[in-house]
Amino acid sequence: MRALIMQGAVVLSVLMLAACSNPRQEVTVQLATEVLLPAHQQWHDSNAALVDSVEAYCADPQASVEKMKAAFFHAQSQWSYLQPLMIGPLSEGNRSWQVQFWPDKRNLVVRQTEALLDEAGPLTGEQLEKASVVVQGLTAFEYVLFDESLALASSRDRYCPLLNGIATHQWALSEEVLTLWRGPEGMLLQLSDFPNERYATADDGLAAILRVQITGVDVLKKKLGVPMGRLNKGVAQPYQAEAWRSQQSIGNLQASLKGARVVWQRVRSLVSDEGLVSDIDQAYADVNSRMEALPGSLVELVQAPSHRDTLAALYTALDQLENRQQIELARALNIQIGFNANDGD
Amino acid sequence: MPLTRRNLLGAGAAMAGVAALGGGSLWTGTAGESPLLLSARNDDAGRHYAMGYYLNGQRAFATPVRERCHAVARHPFLPVALFVGRRPARESYLLDLRDGSLLQTLHSQPYRHFYGHAVFHAQGQWLYTTENDLNEPGRGVLGRYRLDRAALQLVHDGEASTHGVGPHELAWMPEGESLVIGNGGIRTDGVSRQQMNLETMTPSLVIMDRHGALISKETLTDTQSSIRHLDVAGDGTVVTGQQYHGPAYNRVPLLAIKRPGEAYQPFPVSQTQLAMMDQYTASIAIHRQLRQVAMTAPRGNRFFIWDLDSGETLLDTPMSDCAGVGAVPGGFAVTSGQGKCRYFESRTADVQGQWLALPGGGWDNHLWSG
Repeated sequence: MRALIMQGAVVLSVLMLAACSNPRQEVTVQLATEVLLPAHQQWHDSNAALVDSVEAYCADPQASVEKMKAAFFHAQSQWSYLQPLMIGPLSEGNRSWQVQFWPDKRNLVVRQTEALLDEAGPLTGEQLEKASVVVQGLTAFEYVLFDESLALASSRDRYCPLLNGIATHQWALSEEVLTLWRGPEGMLLQLSDFPNERYATADDGLAAILRVQITGVDVLKKKLGVPMGRLNKGVAQPYQAEAWRSQQSIGNLQASLKGARVVWQRVRSLVSDEGLVSDIDQAYADVNSRMEALPGSLVELVQAPSHRDTLAALYTALDQLENRQQIELARALNIQIGFNANDGD
Repeated sequence: MPLTRRNLLGAGAAMAGVAALGGGSLWTGTAGESPLLLSARNDDAGRHYAMGYYLNGQRAFATPVRERCHAVARHPFLPVALFVGRRPARESYLLDLRDGSLLQTLHSQPYRHFYGHAVFHAQGQWLYTTENDLNEPGRGVLGRYRLDRAALQLVHDGEASTHGVGPHELAWMPEGESLVIGNGGIRTDGVSRQQMNLETMTPSLVIMDRHGALISKETLTDTQSSIRHLDVAGDGTVVTGQQYHGPAYNRVPLLAIKRPGEAYQPFPVSQTQLAMMDQYTASIAIHRQLRQVAMTAPRGNRFFIWDLDSGETLLDTPMSDCAGVGAVPGGFAVTSGQGKCRYFESRTADVQGQWLALPGGGWDNHLWSG
């Protein structure tokens, strides 16, 4: 295995040298090796830490839940950071639904989690693997840790098998995804050596990375807009916010913004229009400062009329950031990063 | 010389004469033996085109059109084709394939709109389209148009029911007098495109006489799987592709097959493949010589080829926003909404892909090839 990794490293080094004559290929290879793969590795590491924290908590009746909560926050944050970067395997085959079930319009997480535990007796890993994605991911984990209706400390026998199963499932999922990245015909090589089964040119690979990143920004708008009530005639939906139970919604938004920004920071060297570079830099700074200035949790803010304008301004800033990249950056790079409107035809 | 059947016949023959009249290149030749591909495409600025390209990358024409088109109905022997407006379209475009010139903008009838698909009858006189009845949104209508061969204009002649809601793609059964139609089951508002009945959808696969008589009507278990696209093999086997409108995390069958004399039922694909389709199939093409069926899953960025008879997977490959697929000699040509187009040689078990010299991106979800 080690020999294979070494061999892969040598191949990649050669490819990176070859890419030096083509700035776009160079950036694409750098993004793959220095940003995208490490982000997946960090997510995997956070899942491993989550497994450890659950085992420690569940093995010791006197153990505090705080370390497990910290591990959960970290795993959730790494997942948020990864979302604008999840090109390839994690975005395919229904895998991302297994990480997080959002939006949960009908409170399915609670209903299905409790129903599964009622049916299962002591839940086995096998039962969880066969269950719906609704109960396999971080949203169900968050419910067990943070929902006010649930007393975890006095219900360890019921919930520890679930927490352990979810953490293990997350670790196995990230292990599978990493394998698909690093394999002989894996994602890393498909973003480094062109043409290949997936991309004809480095431009195609770069466009795909940017498309995922812009989708990530669009998802940020949705994660903000849904609880604000933008899809509900302006009536706030606080409990439709992502991570409302752990009140980590804004922290997650910031982590995702950071992931998107890392891609831009690598791509900006390809843009000769200094005015556009400055505009996009400013758009990221604007969104970031507005997020940092939010005075409370999202679930609270959307319910307070006095904060409506603040949130609306943040939404507008995100919209501008998205447009700057999707339209102006695409034009400047002369690559297609728009979307085909496959809306039901 | 105006393009009419009389002129064509006068020039020597119907089928064979087309090549001579068309200056040869469009039909048989100077682009080598490269097949002609017809499809709708948008450019980066969002302008709509009716496109003709050869498989070898040579452009035949790119005709600007006002409304975005979806599928193409080619006349069986005249060098004309109708580029059908994408729902809820009010216009479709009849083109002269020799140079891409617009022969007619076909307007939908009052209180009707096109659903993106049409077919010419083999004798060349009649065209049939799937349409929406705006007086009763979703009621499926089979529009009938007569081709005025002197003027080369399509004239609305009448209509029949498709015996279902929200019809989409239609194709001829092998005997050439009955049509198989995918009734998607969705009532679509004619202005907003809003889908009005996702909780109570009634998709169906209908086979009907072209004059309107119902021959068979079958359904699938998952009523939220909209039956949209299909193709027919030489023996009458029909394969359909569905689009699922239930919860985003569900995994339901997205391909179905009706073999001659058998019930309409899911086409067996693996759970892994189903998951990769992301609940959405776009274009279906059956290769009649190779007995293979190909399908694009643009939301999952995945393209597949299966053996039609055994169900064996011949190809399962990533392809960015793969859109239209058409059978061409030795395999399939596939367009993309966001990336390069490809050709897959599938004569042998080791399917090989090649990148095509067609413009990348912007292609709509259907590709006529011939």
